[in-house]
Amino acid sequence: MAIDPSAVGRVYPPQPYEVSREKVREFAEAIGDPNPVYVDTGMAGEYGHDDVVAPPTFVMIPVMRGFDTLMADLGIEFARVVHVDQRFTYSRPLLVGDGLETTTTLDALRQVAGNDLLTIRSDVRAADEHVCTSQATLLIRPEEKDDV
Amino acid sequence: MSEPLAVGQVVADEQYRITRENLVRYAGASGDFNPIHWNDRVAKAVGLPGVLAHGMLTMALAGRLLTDWVGDPAAVVEYSVRFSRPVVVPDDADGVAVHVTATVTEVRDDGLVGVELAVRVDEQKVLTQARALARPPKNAS
Repeated sequence: MAIDPSAVGRVYPPQPYEVSREKVREFAEAIGDPNPVYVDTGMAGEYGHDDVVAPPTFVMIPVMRGFDTLMADLGIEFARVVHVDQRFTYSRPLLVGDGLETTTTLDALRQVAGNDLLTIRSDVRAADEHVCTSQATLLIRPEEKDDV
Repeated sequence: MSEPLAVGQVVADEQYRITRENLVRYAGASGDFNPIHWNDRVAKAVGLPGVLAHGMLTMALAGRLLTDWVGDPAAVVEYSVRFSRPVVVPDDADGVAVHVTATVTEVRDDGLVGVELAVRVDEQKVLTQARALARPPKNAS
């Protein structure tokens, strides 16, 4: 069943996310990145950062919290979702200790060959300071027909 | 001392491996537990050729080439990709090799540099329109 077109423009309540030292370390290890700036405060300081920073794509974790809210609202099952494209625009890197709030907006909805294509904007802020904006396109495959 | 960057210049080139173990670790670290990234049965049932790497993991690997080049991750101002082709990860010790090449596409007056990332598996692009805007490392400006 197609997604209700009146959902376009819907803004979801800000989702909180706290950037923790161990999560940044775990993420850097998971992508196999040995850069000390993700674990060593002294090295981060040499670049002028107050604490260790997160790898650029780490921001997808708080962004996905917002996706979860949107998908629950629209009744979308996770297994039907295909990530089509992703853009991040950064004002600054995510820092350990950041208390982030991510506001998620359904910017656009169109149908292509029976699939719904959603454009989702996520504004990630820390204490009223812009940190990152994410723009993603998700393709939602139609639900399986009951022909089994 | 250093040469100025030129459009068309390849500034970084690296090959990364993705194994099933990497997918499990990335699932845990990212919180993306979609079973198509770790479960053959589910992947086959939804018509996929096999277990796929998370698109965001491939984006992270290409991003790593970028941050290794610029040094400070904060130098990355914009980063975008299109997930054009799934990366199938076989259930063996070697996994799949992802080859990433970073090429300068634009040198701007404000000091930022446009970079195109070619991300390939077996010479086929798995990300397209993979682009970044970044402050180049001091020794390369």
